[in-house]
Amino acid sequence: MSELIVSKFFYNKEAAPLEYYRKHGGYEALKKALSMKPEDIIAEVKKSNLRGRGGAGFPTGMKWGFIPKESKVPKYLVCNADESEPGTFKDRAIITYSPHMMIEGMIIGSLAIGAETSYIYIRGEYVREAEYLEKALEEAYDAGLLGKNILGSGFKHNMYVHRGAGAYICGEETGLLNSLEGKRGEPRVKPPFPAIKGAFGGPTIVNNVETLANIPAILNKGGEWFAKLGKLPNSGGTRLYCVSGHVNKPGLYEFPCASVTLRELIYDHCGGIRNNRKLKAVIPGGSSAPVLLPHEIDIPLDIDPMAKAGSMLGSAGVIVIDDTWCAVKAIKRITHFYAHESCGQCTPCREGCRWMEDVLHRIEDGHGKASDMDLLLNVADNINGKTLCALGDAAAGPVMSFVKKFRQEFEDHIKGGKCPSA
Amino acid sequence: MPKCIIDGKEYEFKPGETIIQVADRNNIDIPRFCYHPALTVVAQCRMCAVEVEKMPKMQTACSTPAADGMVVHTASEKVKSMRASVMEFTLINHPLDCPICDEAGECTLQDYSYGYGAPDSRYEEERRTFIDLDMGPVIKKNMNRCIHCTRCIRFCDEVGGFREMVALKRGNWTEITTVDGKPLETEYAGNLADICPTGSLTLKDFRFKKRSWFLTRAKSICEGCSQGCNIEVHHENNTVFRLTPRENMDINKWWLCDEGRFNIKYIHSPTRVVEPAVRQDKTLTLSDWYSAVAEAKEKVHGKTLVLVATDLTLEEMKAIQEFASSKLNGAAIYHFGTEGHTKASDDKPEDNILRRTNKTSNLHGAEKLGLKGWDGQGKFDSAIVFRGGRAQLPTDLNKYVSGSIVGVGVFHEETVDGYSVILPGLSYVEKSGTVVNWQGKEQKFRKALEPIGQSRSLVDVFALWS
Repeated sequence: MSELIVSKFFYNKEAAPLEYYRKHGGYEALKKALSMKPEDIIAEVKKSNLRGRGGAGFPTGMKWGFIPKESKVPKYLVCNADESEPGTFKDRAIITYSPHMMIEGMIIGSLAIGAETSYIYIRGEYVREAEYLEKALEEAYDAGLLGKNILGSGFKHNMYVHRGAGAYICGEETGLLNSLEGKRGEPRVKPPFPAIKGAFGGPTIVNNVETLANIPAILNKGGEWFAKLGKLPNSGGTRLYCVSGHVNKPGLYEFPCASVTLRELIYDHCGGIRNNRKLKAVIPGGSSAPVLLPHEIDIPLDIDPMAKAGSMLGSAGVIVIDDTWCAVKAIKRITHFYAHESCGQCTPCREGCRWMEDVLHRIEDGHGKASDMDLLLNVADNINGKTLCALGDAAAGPVMSFVKKFRQEFEDHIKGGKCPSA
Repeated sequence: MPKCIIDGKEYEFKPGETIIQVADRNNIDIPRFCYHPALTVVAQCRMCAVEVEKMPKMQTACSTPAADGMVVHTASEKVKSMRASVMEFTLINHPLDCPICDEAGECTLQDYSYGYGAPDSRYEEERRTFIDLDMGPVIKKNMNRCIHCTRCIRFCDEVGGFREMVALKRGNWTEITTVDGKPLETEYAGNLADICPTGSLTLKDFRFKKRSWFLTRAKSICEGCSQGCNIEVHHENNTVFRLTPRENMDINKWWLCDEGRFNIKYIHSPTRVVEPAVRQDKTLTLSDWYSAVAEAKEKVHGKTLVLVATDLTLEEMKAIQEFASSKLNGAAIYHFGTEGHTKASDDKPEDNILRRTNKTSNLHGAEKLGLKGWDGQGKFDSAIVFRGGRAQLPTDLNKYVSGSIVGVGVFHEETVDGYSVILPGLSYVEKSGTVVNWQGKEQKFRKALEPIGQSRSLVDVFALWS
């Protein structure tokens, strides 16, 4: 087994408290960071080639570097714990078993960008996890790791947990900031980007839970060490893969970036397809990632190789589908999710997602028409890349890939007047 | 100055200007629903998307800042296809009830559908429908027609003074409504009907009264207060149907308050005195112009009080001054119009948008001509009151006037109990003239209607008098 960073303490019920974390080297990175210059912290993170783990894969150090040094308004760091991409469940485990790893990362990040306040925006459905975080914050305050004078360094920092109300769109960083400010959760027009004008008008960094949980290890062992873990030159460290669906051993797997292929993950590590069935399709990066067929899965699991293969690693939520499952039903369910979660502010997403869902519903019920497939592709194309935020692309991409890759199955539904597997 | 290239031509711009601002200034047509120069940019409707070279995705012209050397295409095939797709999306759930919609003929959605949309529809699913809540006395909402541009929400937040409109639910079922379904409180609600690009928000007062294409539009100045908002009078068949604001960035920008907007009821009121009338045995009896003027001449005698309403034009005020000095020797002239406003400095802003406390159009003009405000002093043998239709009549004139009172101008039966003769005059939509607003700006307005009934201009009245 390779070296574990964020999943080191997973499934260890004693690992969550501060005492355990400190005994195992916790908050040493913070001590180190407190003695460093902010620009040196950012330089170390840049060196590590850490890329955002939320989905877009933006280099974290570069993002931190966008924050202006001097600002008349307060700066903020926000941890995006609104883990809502279907198929993704890694942040939940980090919050449950290693909340302090993430909190330590947040304090270091705040130190680097000069933020005195940070927020953990957690999805409303994570009720227990929000409690775990509250408890962890209390411990950190009591131990002087948060508050007016952190470890006697004079650095002042407050951290708050903010619970969302249950909207996928609040995982989009500007939608999240609107929600955090008490406004309707809908994405903002960019520019200005959050690094210039984010929460409450101040320069703001929004990072994913897993991204922040990697920070202590980078500071402890150095950016170069972290960068070398990754098998590709521009993507360092390890990554959590959330495998769900029809495999024998679903769950969370941590591997160095690009060190395993999708096929190896499914067959070597997850024990293959359940009941010895045949693999039908894999959605490699949360439900918004375009689907891959069994012959397309010999791809190293990392951001760039996945994009090259016409899909995306996204949040690394690997959804495995076997041959018992209807492709039309699968994409109908996925499209229903995006239609339901569309915030409704911009035209193509608001109208188009629901339209696609209705057409898919018709096809699955056996009321489809021969022209429906081209209609679906065209509507998806009219959404793709033309919306205000990425939700439109997230909804259109899967539809286009399913129609293209399972065209025969769609035709069977339309010609047969019912689902062939029903 | 930096320059960008739009459709092959070079245009200068100020740093910070967006593509749509540069295009608007140079008369390049870019369609838009959600963008309004007065409101925050939200880039939601996606209609204004243009192609910018070196940018992979289409860019919304409303939110993309122009840059030096930027090359923009507003009519390329990609742009046309994006506009067609946005039109299709906006129309799939729109009821297409133009034949019974008040907005038809002046509807942005209709115009763009004609300009950029497809002649047929690919949509076969059921259209979404909503049940509408009442939004108060001014605005009627029809959510089915709404295209979610959110101009109304932003107007209430940023201009109207109350944060009272919101989007409820989300996605396809997003409903634009008032907070808790309460009636609108803003005094500027009528503007919502103006900025709504569809027939979703229409004026209750105007609904089903007239198809917009039958209306003739005359440029005018609102007489509701001393702000002097620029308006259009929309009329047909010598009847005013509505007033709408006319853009003037120095005075009212794009807006008009509801008080001014609905200040048309008195013009066509059945109780307006539109024929010369003389009081006989305590009842007002219709007469003819010659007898009525003769009667008035007889009644105006001795020490005369001349009251000039501040809703009259500069031209009319000057004519009255001349008339008084040549025909009514030694008459005392005062202006009146709003209680507590005897001089220009009494006029204050009523809110931080447009409304002023002085509720007539020309107080500042009267002051300019040297008229003093009526403050209820002295004893007079008779009085002659000139009024346009808006000024508030003094109710206790008989305390100061022992003899008869003659009214010249716009009067209503219920307000002329103490008057002996009424010579019917013109309201502001029936004449041209000049008024002076609180900033001292002289503004001319044009006649929209022919005189109603037998009403005559002051010039005609004075001609009969001599």
